[in-house]
Amino acid sequence: MGRALRSVSLAVIAVAFGLPLVMGVLGTLGTAIGWFPNSLPGLTVLSDPRLFAATRLTLFTGLMATALALGLCIVTLMVFWGRGSLKRIQQALAPFLAVPHAALAVGLVFVLAPSGWLARLVTLEGRPSEAWIVPDPAGWSLILGLALKEFPFLLMTALAYLPRLNPDEFLRQGRVLGYRASQCWVRLILPNLLQAMRLPVAVVLAYNLSVVDMAIILGPGQPPTLAVWVIEYFVQPGGRAQASVAALWLLLVMAAGFLIANEIYRMCGHVSREFRTDSQRKPPRPGWGLAGRAGVLGLLGLATLALVSLWIFSFSHRWRFPDALPERWTLRFWQGRWDDWAPLVENTLSLGMASALLALLAAVIWLEAERAGRIPRLDGLWYLPLFIPQACVLLGWQAGALVGGVDGAWGTLVWAHWVYALPYVLLVLAPAWRSLDVGYERQARLLGASPWGALIRVRMPLLLRPLLIGWAVAMAVSIAQYLPTLLLGAGRYPTLTTELVTSFGGVDRRVIGTLASLQMLLPWLVFAIALALPAWVFRNRRHA
Amino acid sequence: MKKTLIALALSAASVHALAIQPNSDWTDVLQEAQGQTVYFNAWGGSDRINQYIDWVGEQVLAEYGVKLEHVKIGDIAEIVTQIESAKAVGKDQDGNVDLMWINGENFANMKSNELLFGDFANHLPNAAFVADKPSIAYDFSVPVEGLEAPWGGAQLVFMHDSERLPNPPKSADALLAHLKDGGRFAYPAPPAFHGTTFVKQVLSEVTQQPEALLKPVDQADFDAVTAPLWAYLDEMHPLLRGNGKVWPASGEETRQLMDDGEVDISISFNPNEASAAVREGQLADATRTYIFEGGTVGNTHFVSIPYNAKAAAGAMVVANFMLSPDAQARKADPEFWGDPTVLDLAKLEGTQKTRFDQIDLGPWALPIEELANTRGEPHASWTGALEAAWAERYAQ
Repeated sequence: MGRALRSVSLAVIAVAFGLPLVMGVLGTLGTAIGWFPNSLPGLTVLSDPRLFAATRLTLFTGLMATALALGLCIVTLMVFWGRGSLKRIQQALAPFLAVPHAALAVGLVFVLAPSGWLARLVTLEGRPSEAWIVPDPAGWSLILGLALKEFPFLLMTALAYLPRLNPDEFLRQGRVLGYRASQCWVRLILPNLLQAMRLPVAVVLAYNLSVVDMAIILGPGQPPTLAVWVIEYFVQPGGRAQASVAALWLLLVMAAGFLIANEIYRMCGHVSREFRTDSQRKPPRPGWGLAGRAGVLGLLGLATLALVSLWIFSFSHRWRFPDALPERWTLRFWQGRWDDWAPLVENTLSLGMASALLALLAAVIWLEAERAGRIPRLDGLWYLPLFIPQACVLLGWQAGALVGGVDGAWGTLVWAHWVYALPYVLLVLAPAWRSLDVGYERQARLLGASPWGALIRVRMPLLLRPLLIGWAVAMAVSIAQYLPTLLLGAGRYPTLTTELVTSFGGVDRRVIGTLASLQMLLPWLVFAIALALPAWVFRNRRHA
Repeated sequence: MKKTLIALALSAASVHALAIQPNSDWTDVLQEAQGQTVYFNAWGGSDRINQYIDWVGEQVLAEYGVKLEHVKIGDIAEIVTQIESAKAVGKDQDGNVDLMWINGENFANMKSNELLFGDFANHLPNAAFVADKPSIAYDFSVPVEGLEAPWGGAQLVFMHDSERLPNPPKSADALLAHLKDGGRFAYPAPPAFHGTTFVKQVLSEVTQQPEALLKPVDQADFDAVTAPLWAYLDEMHPLLRGNGKVWPASGEETRQLMDDGEVDISISFNPNEASAAVREGQLADATRTYIFEGGTVGNTHFVSIPYNAKAAAGAMVVANFMLSPDAQARKADPEFWGDPTVLDLAKLEGTQKTRFDQIDLGPWALPIEELANTRGEPHASWTGALEAAWAERYAQ
């Protein structure tokens, strides 16, 4: 790669990535202090009577959901490690990684409500119970939804980190010394694993504290969570300055959330150190393992039911309580509507393809430059978009796009999606890229390959698997983008996600079910391709 | 080369000369509109409404060569902010929005911030058919002055399943009594549109000073006017589904909850919604629509053109088509949408009128004779004040 070309591409990546973030934050700060005309004074938002309740709700749901997802991940590892079923669970989870939050949320409400599917399966006649309500006032529905959605991500990351931590060796030694497996996990493996997983857990926590779509569907409504509260002001005429101050408040609360999480982590560390010094051996207790397995499989079953219910709705004409299944079926939401859905699928795919390929390209260029020692490792910077809530940067983006005259342009949308896709690509690709044995490349060079040739003909094929997974994740991220598509796209490029969120207003479960099914189908296909392609390409090679 | 330049300059000049004004000659408007693409920003939550808008698009393309793009949005307030942003950064031409579905506070806001195109509505040829009613001349007590063209009528109505609940409560007090007897009900939390309207309905029934609602809120003794409302809601909330802690997000959600059996009565702003929903498979055949005996809050929804619209001429052509007897009759038919017309049927003749006479509302919709029993919307300024006071009391 020519030096000039290299510096140009690095500069382009840095500016393209950094500019929106700087512009976004500056725009929010500027608006907060009154740059924006016709706005009510921003600070008045802090006298909103709901502020305290909304802050409490946000911290409670965000922290609990993260703890539950992590707990679920740990229990899964403890009760399934070393069993063949772990592999099956891992495969079963891939679709959940691909399912958009909003789709899962709608399905969960339908399954759990007093008039929902579970109740319909056991009720023969009469009215729904009044004993509970979904969503519930305390926020448990939201916690459950977030945990179910984030748990597969944490489990996948944990499984990627674990081999380096030698859990089998620890388990063997512990067992020889007479400790039961759960003791080995708690004392020996988990401390290291949690230390290694701090970044992914932080990403999950940031997401849970700032999520908008799931909080609208599964949250109690009034008071809203803070992220929903920001958007409420954002879309209110004259509310720009207030929305900006609200966004900054959300940032502060997120920082507080991280401090609290860190404190809890430290306290757990203390407790587990005390544990480790006692040398009490205990015999295995099979009941716990059974309960753990039942719990994990039960929750997975619940999530599966939620997704299946959406598919059923897309084929139903009428499905009333307490019927266990629809009384009349129809194909009209699929057959008659293809003209409506086709442009949505087209926009969704073209935006996803473009932003995912660009993200892959940028990641490869950057990682190569990093390996060549031209640039430092900038992991902290790459993950920044995942820690700044979208509500905090979109205001600045929108103003910038309007000034630059690029709002409503396809390229602008690709750019915005790319900024959110790139961190995930790096998250998936960087560990594999950095740890690939340099020997392969050295041999290629010795055999006369150019640096480019070595990269394209040796390194990239060897890394095909992580490259494709990175591409699939980037596609999934792009497919799920709602706020950037809506606010920067000026409605010119409706996607499955914008259409789905709009259709929530009409509460027609059959239309929502059809759109959500389509929205699930695309990332599933993408993941299927990403998993199947290497197997096909390497079908003649023994190591693959 | 020189010729091309001159031609370009000339065409630029002629475009400038043709720049359409709200009161331009209609033949100029039609000519300019030919070939334009109109971006119509409108709530996209209802499948039926979306399909009706698609039909409008087919018609205006065939008849006038105007391409209509429905930009589906969740809340028109988002678009108002977008236009505010455009004005703030000086993007005064070639805006993204040509036509928008709007009323109430959002209209009041755009009017006072001068974000609207001008008095185009009175210059539309089909304006001649529009009914002369205060609820059309005033949008939430704010004078319309031709800044928006009426599109449809709306009135707060209630739906119930007549097999499950044969005698629904027909006043705010009767509703409270029904809840005390174990009835199930929930209204959407303000600032959701249906929720705010329900609160206004109760206020207009229980307040001692109903005349204060027609004037701006700062001219009234807010606490005194609203005290009976809060007393009523304080009593009602513990009896609601969700105990006043969890709320439906919208009127549409109350319809779903009613079909699920979680509530007895649902709230709508469309007197014919039940007709359409029963035919669509979304409500039971026994569903009926009714209003409170003392009348319910009614208003009109409109379409308007932002000040920086790129295709203002095309937008005017679309707004005019939407007011045509054909388009209004199809819109009023629950087969397609079921939204009450804004036309005065007495001004129509011949086939124009028979289209309306042929509409079959079925037994599910609000009987037509009850439609006239409306209460005016309080002045637009009450909306924000009521929403803030509601949040202070019930959303902490």
